[in-house]
Formats: sequence, C-alpha cells, structure tokens
Amino acid sequence: MELKQTAESLSDIEKKTLKALEQEKFIGLEELSKKSNVQIDSTRRAIAWLEEKDFVELEERKESSTELTERGKEYALKGLPEENMLKTLQGIGGVGDFPEVMNKAGFSKEEFNFALGYNKKKNFISILPGEKPRIQLTGVAEEIKEESLQETLKKIESGEKIENEKSRELETRGLVKNVEKTVRKAKLNSRGIEALKLLGTIKQRAYNIQGKVPELFIGKKQPYMRFLLEARRKLAEIGFIEMESPLIVSEFYNFDALFQPQGHPARQWSDTYQLKRPKKGELPDKKIVERVKATHENGWKTGSKGWQYTWSAEIAKRLMPTAHCTAHSARQLAKGVKVPGKYFAVARCYRPDVVDARHLIEFNQMEGIIIDESMNFRKLLGMLKQFAVEFAGTDKVKFAPDYFPFTEPSCELQVKHPKLGWVELGGSGIFRPELALPLGIKEPVLAWGIGIDRLAMVKLGIKDIRQLFSDDLNWLRNAKVAQ
Amino acid sequence: MPSLEASKKDLEKLVKKKFACKEELETALEFAKCELDSIEGDKLSIGVKDTNRPDLLSTEGIARELRSRYTKDRGVPKYMVKKSGVTLIVDKNVAKIRPCIAAALIKNIKVTEDFLIQMIQLQEKVCLTFGKRRKEAAIGLYDWKKLKAPMHYKAFKLREKKFIPLEYKVEMDLEEILLEHPKGKEYKHLLEGFDKYPLLLDSKGAVASMPPIINSQLTGKVSEETKEVLVEVTGYTQETVNTALDVMVSAIAERGFSVYSVKIKYPDKTIVTPTFKPKKVTVNLGSVTRLTGLDLTPKQAKELLEKARYNVRTAKGKLLCEYPSYRQDILHEVDVIEDVLISTGYNKIEPAPVELACTGSESSEALAMDSAREICVGMGLQEVLTFTMTSREKQAKKIGLKENDFVEIANPVSINYEVFRKNILPELLDFLGKNKHCLYPQKIFEIGKCLELDESKENKVREPVKLCVVLSGKGAEFTVIKSALDALCKNMNWEHSIEDSNISFLEKGKQGKVTIGSKKGFFGELNKKTLEEFGLEMPTACFEIET
Repeated sequence: MELKQTAESLSDIEKKTLKALEQEKFIGLEELSKKSNVQIDSTRRAIAWLEEKDFVELEERKESSTELTERGKEYALKGLPEENMLKTLQGIGGVGDFPEVMNKAGFSKEEFNFALGYNKKKNFISILPGEKPRIQLTGVAEEIKEESLQETLKKIESGEKIENEKSRELETRGLVKNVEKTVRKAKLNSRGIEALKLLGTIKQRAYNIQGKVPELFIGKKQPYMRFLLEARRKLAEIGFIEMESPLIVSEFYNFDALFQPQGHPARQWSDTYQLKRPKKGELPDKKIVERVKATHENGWKTGSKGWQYTWSAEIAKRLMPTAHCTAHSARQLAKGVKVPGKYFAVARCYRPDVVDARHLIEFNQMEGIIIDESMNFRKLLGMLKQFAVEFAGTDKVKFAPDYFPFTEPSCELQVKHPKLGWVELGGSGIFRPELALPLGIKEPVLAWGIGIDRLAMVKLGIKDIRQLFSDDLNWLRNAKVAQ
Repeated sequence: MPSLEASKKDLEKLVKKKFACKEELETALEFAKCELDSIEGDKLSIGVKDTNRPDLLSTEGIARELRSRYTKDRGVPKYMVKKSGVTLIVDKNVAKIRPCIAAALIKNIKVTEDFLIQMIQLQEKVCLTFGKRRKEAAIGLYDWKKLKAPMHYKAFKLREKKFIPLEYKVEMDLEEILLEHPKGKEYKHLLEGFDKYPLLLDSKGAVASMPPIINSQLTGKVSEETKEVLVEVTGYTQETVNTALDVMVSAIAERGFSVYSVKIKYPDKTIVTPTFKPKKVTVNLGSVTRLTGLDLTPKQAKELLEKARYNVRTAKGKLLCEYPSYRQDILHEVDVIEDVLISTGYNKIEPAPVELACTGSESSEALAMDSAREICVGMGLQEVLTFTMTSREKQAKKIGLKENDFVEIANPVSINYEVFRKNILPELLDFLGKNKHCLYPQKIFEIGKCLELDESKENKVREPVKLCVVLSGKGAEFTVIKSALDALCKNMNWEHSIEDSNISFLEKGKQGKVTIGSKKGFFGELNKKTLEEFGLEMPTACFEIET
C-alpha cells in the first residue's frame, strides 16, 4: 500500500504513538505511554501495528533494576521499625518504658527487638536501667539530617535510581531485590519519519473499507429442515390437514391395511426394519381387523379374490419403524376422516440399506390423500399437475404407468427441469378397494407421494444425499438462507 | 424394480416394428409398465415396474405386450400345445416336502444367443420375484435329448444318490451338495427339517436335478446345440407352478418353437401341463367410467382391453373378460380398469382440476416446534439435524448412563444404528466432536422426536419431541445456559421450576432439573469426563427439554 494511504488509515492510538516517538533515541514503551497519554496496553498494540506497517524500529534489551520485596512494600507504606521507634519517642517527650513504646508504635515483639538493637547500635537511644527500664533519645538522631529509609523505599517504588550503598543495605535487610527485565524500546525509522510528516497534512483517519472484518455466524434453520417446513406450510395452504406420523407403527398399518400379503417378499427382514423391543403393539377396532383379515383371505365384500391364505393377527401386531408414509394414511383412514377431505404427512421413514451417496436408512417422505365421491383418474392427473406447479415450479408434466401394491390405477409424475431434463417427482394412484373398504371408506381415495429428499437435493444443489443431515458445521454456517 | 437386459433388434423383430428414436421406444414401453433405464447401441436396459407381472420379465413377454398396440395381433395370445406322450411320475414321498410340479417340452428349437440370454434371465428373475427366491416356484431347464422318459419326481436320503452338480466336475452326494456347493448353501434352508430330499430322475435313474437347489451338469444344461428342452417347475401349490410354467413356456413359444404337454401323474390324480387356459374376470362398465373419469362406450372399452391382451364380450353394461394364464395379478376389476387407462395412454388423458373446499392445517405438534425453533434462531443458534437411530454406545455409555431400555432394532445394518435415541444431547455432542476445526463459539440446537418405551400406548412407545441446545466455547457456563433456558421458557409462555440434580454427564453443583407441567428436562455444564468422551476441549453447556 502507498505510504500516504497507510498513513491515512492509521488509528488514533497509532497516530498519538507515532507523534510521541523520536527519531534518534529509542524510547521505552512505559515512557512512551506517559508521553503520548495513551494507555500502556494500547501503546503496546499500537507499536505492534506500527511495526507491521514498517514505521518503527524496535529494540529489546535486558535491563536490571531494583524492586521492592513484599516486606519492602509494607515498610514503604508504614515506615521502618527503627524509624518508627524514634518517631514514637519524639511524640512522648523523648522517653518511655518498653511496653509504652511497643504499644504506641504498634510493634510486634520481633520488630521492637530489632528497632531497639538497631537504634542502640547507632547510638540514637540509650537505655535507662531500673525496675522498669526506659528508652531515651540521645540527640544523635536529631543531628542527622539524612533521608529516611522509608523515603528511599518510596523512591525505589516509583522507579528512581538510588545510591548503591543504600540499596545494598536494604537488600541485606530483604527489603529490595534486583531483577532483570526485557525492555522494549522503539524509535521511528525513515518510513516512520515520512509518515509523521504526512500526518501533519492529514486531518481525519480514512477507514480501510475494503479490509476484512470478523465473520458473524448468525442463528438459522437447518437448510433441509427449512425446505421441509416450507413444503408443509404450502400443503396446509392448499387445503391439506397434517396427519399424526408416529415413528413406530404396527405392521398392520405399514402392510396389512395396505393389502400387502403377509408372505410378501417386501415384508422380509432385508427390506424393512423390525423391532427387538417393543415387539408387538395393539390392533385397532375389532371390526376393522376382521374386515382386513377377510379381505386378505377371500376379498371380503370388496369384489376382490383376496390373497387366498390364512391371515395372522399376531404378524399384524408386530411393531416396526415406519417404512413409508402410506402407513400414516392408512392409520388416518382407520381413525376417521372428513369427506371431502385432504390429508398429508411429512415424516421420517426407515429402511435397512447401506448408507451411501444415494441411500439413507432414515429419510423423509411427503405423502397425502384426497377423499371424495368425485375423485377419479382424471382428477388424479389434475392433482399431480397442481403439485408440479407448487413444488417444482413448472406445468410441463409427463405421466407414466407405475406400480404400487396399494394403488390401482397407479401413475408416476415426471416434470421437466430446466437443466436436468425429465425427472421423476413422485408416485400416485387411487387406493385399491381392498384397502379403502375395510377401513370404512366408500369414496375413491387419491393417494400421492413426492420424493421430497430428491427434490430437496435439487433445490439445495447437493449431490450426496447424506448432506441433507450434514454433520459439517462450516457447511451449515455457509448455507444460504435465500435460494 | 427388476431390471432386464435386452437387444433392441431382437425386441423390434418380436414386436414387428422398428422404433425410430429413443422417445418412441420409451412411449411404447409404457404399455408394458416398463421404463427405459439406458440404451447403448443395441443394448437396452429395461426397468419392469410391476413386480406382480412375471410375464414381463423377458424380451418376449414385453414384445407380446407391445405387438398388440401396433399390429392386429390382439386379445389373449393363442399358443398351440401338442401332446408329447411323456409322463412325469410323482412319488407320494414328496407330498410333505415339495409336493407340486408342472412340466412342458419344447421342440424344434433354434438356439440363438438372444434366446439363451432371455431364457436364463427369465428363469432367474421369475424364481427370484414371483417364486420368492425359489421358495414358491423353482424352474429347471434340461436338454431333453440327454434324458429318457418317463421322468420321476421322488425324494431320497442324503447319501442315497450322487450326481455332478452344474459347473462341477466331480460327483457329490446330496449332503455334500447342501454343505459345499454354493447353491446348496444358498438354498438349503428351503428343505430344512426333512430327512429326504426331492430329485428329478429319468427312467434310467440318472439324476436331472435336485429341486429347488441345483441341476445336473450332464443333463440339466441348455447349450447352443440343444434342440429340445424340458421345462419343469416345482413348488407348493399347483396354481403357482402352473403360472410359472405358463410364463416360461409362453415366452419360449413367442419365438415360434413347438410346445408339447407333459402328463403329471400324482398318486391320486393325473393332470396335463401346460394348458394356457385363459382366466376370467367380469368388469362393470359403470366402474370403468367412474374410476377413470372417461366417457367410454362398451365398444371403446372392449377395443382398449383387446390391445391389452384381453378377450372381451360385452353384455348388459358388463365387460366379460378373459385374460392370459400367465397373468396372476388380477384380483379385482380395478386391475382391469388400469389396463384400460394404459391402453388409452396416460398422456392422452385430459387432467381435471380437483376443486374441493377444504381447510388445511399443520399439526399442533409441528406448530409448537416452529415456535421453539424461532426462539432458538433468535438466540443466534444454528439448527442441526441428526438421525433418530443411533448407537447404545453414544446414548448411554459415553454419557455415563447404565440404562438399557431403548427402543431397539432387531435387524440393524450396523451397530451405529441399533437403537432409537432417548436424548438428543449425545448426538449434538458427537456433532461438536466432528467440528472442532470450526470457529468457536459453536452454538447449536436440534428439535426432534425421541423414543421411550411406554406400555400404555397403542404402539408401546412414547414419542416426545425434545429440544436440545448446546453452547461450546469460552464462557459457555452455567449462567449463560440458564439465561438461554429462561429466555426460551419466557417466550414459550412456560412456567418452569428448577430443582437440584445429580446427572452423570453434568458438572456437580452446576446443573439442575427443569419441570414445566408434565414435561421434564435438564440443564448445566458438561463435566470433564463427558467432554473427553466426545473429544471436546472447550467448556460446554447444554439444556434439553420436552416441547
């Protein structure tokens, strides 16, 4: 960056620091801080930034200095015992007995003994013998106009240099210690001098508005969840009521009510999950169970041949993780529906598979039903066309025959995607009478399912189905809210 | 959905029509409920959607369904069946093991590569789907020139008979085949519990096959030199084996080869197979118009059905239909009505709009979830989505719980998905463990169902919807998570009370139990042991509560 631009973009603390620096002499940061009136922390930061911009030269040096010890700090505050003893004696007329002096001065026994010995040695006091010995000032002390040791300690505390002799005495008494410190000093380099000159001509700091600022991670919905929520809202808007969608259902709803015979290969272990615990659930109303049984065995009154085998209630009671949403439609029909009525579910389904880019063992399905006397195959096609518009944003549709065990006729819906060409959007059909009649439904029931996971992948632009349940926080943070 | 290999030229020859472009072929295949998966030169891959139509599992079968749309060859196909004079004698000792058999002879065969590929493919696919992995129907094909009539179907003890199984060079006895031969191992469960095993032999006692396991290398192999083929099907009901035989033999007959019947002599009766006797169904014309929404005259309906290989007579508003014996998918008149629609062509039917006055709504459960979600997003949390199936290790061991009363899968694909979650927290901790390289603080939540055993429910489980919030990073401590919990409760309009707790995965003294009416939950700082279990290094706090 140009020198001028860089100088313009300096922050306040950088500017103040730059101005306080000198050309010839290295200045320590503490001193610099005092001079610039910028706090020491900010000065340190400013110097680091200025160095990065190549405006200053830094010097690091080890320096030894004298510092107070804990005891030293204490004495700097309340005075040294020997000096306090003299002051105390002066306060009580120059003479006092031992306990008097001790109490007045606030000495510990140890401090008193030390002060007594010290002052006696220096001839500042004398001891008057007797039953109660007394201490008396000698007058020597008054003659000495030397600086008190407390003053010295205070000077050291504020960083002033003192004579070696005095400091050695204090060191021996454990009141001061010598420490080595790394001192950072700085001075302007030639670019810094140039910048300083330029600063005079610049009035205001210009921000580097192109510069990087910290990224803010906002709270937001999971992208696939947002997609599912929108789909659900849309269905409610076009008149569908959401059905209950338990994760665990009986085989009765998952298979039997849907007229899947009990020996059917799709009911085998390899195609659906089964539960070890709990094992069996409850069957619905006895009347419904009897009709389903009869329909499987001989067609009951549905006009069907039935599957011609002996139906077992025990198999129907077995519980399983829901394998497809149609189980919820069957359950809803058994529990009662409004006619005309529209119902839907967006629900988790489970199938054993090897998880890869195209398969999940746990996924979502979106399904629904429309019940009314007026429903027929042409209406089914009309409904599919509406879904193409609502969910794929196109009315370019193609229909093809399809097969589901529980619908007849069945129909596949394909829509034209601008990039992918014709893609399958869903499957549909009219529920078989063998399904509807035993559940007490005499009207035709249109049933539809949309491959919601596949649709979400297209919308979210992802190739690997596992990403719908992404465990990558960065991906979630970077996913866009608006598509 | 079963997938077939076919040759385009072969298909065109059998349909008697050339398909100019891919789209034309695709549209044609819809008449057979098939879709074109891929086309590479002459090689077609065709998906057969209807798993109840074994007759569509060969080029011959698909061609038969298409030919009636483009030529005058309509209605139930007629195949000539001559008497072969061959008898197949069924011993009474198979009655309890695998009682039923049907057979036919095909003569004047000109074996081509296409024919061989289709026959083997059809045999395999029919056994797999319609035959339910050979259980209900297992098909055998034999070079008839190498066998001598009459044939015998009889069961023998394990060590009693020996033969060279297909693709082997040495003789093996029945036990060796069951224990060592790959097909023996694959299918021996179909004969479990018997001390005798069924064999098909010729009059000289030579073993032709061991149904439903394996054919003999010497006789049970069709090659380019084969001129006459014996087809045989075994199973448990005569109806099923007859249908499978008709599927197989009618496909072969499509190529113009001569079909000869075989007398099956059971201890108590004698029958002749195949018969190709059409089956019957009656359809009300009213049902047709009601279900399709199309105004069809009886004549129109009749013509459409003839294109779908039915013979139809109309009488008093009824369609008296006959359909080919190879079909067994017609249980109800709706199955016939679908064929009317397919013959019409789905894309030639005008869609009619659904105009019903219905008021829609989302479930109250979903709406409550939405409110909680809005609050969490408002608190700056990123929503994540994990699976409800998980491992016991994560749900119990890693968070220091001993409990084992999970809703449990009987046939898990992997131990990573063997139980249903009771809490969301372990899944979110696992999520954080995978994202340690991402910038902190990490603030996440999930709302979703958990499962608990509950005898009082119809499905024996309770499915509470839980909300779990996890904060991780510097400063993620007790006060912060409690603030979040309080904010949630306040905005959800929940009155909550808090009690001391002693939860294994939370830090002592920095945790609590929350109660909101009948709903329960917990909150606090994760303790060091739990963080270590999930490989987390940052301070982490959480709450989880039913919504």
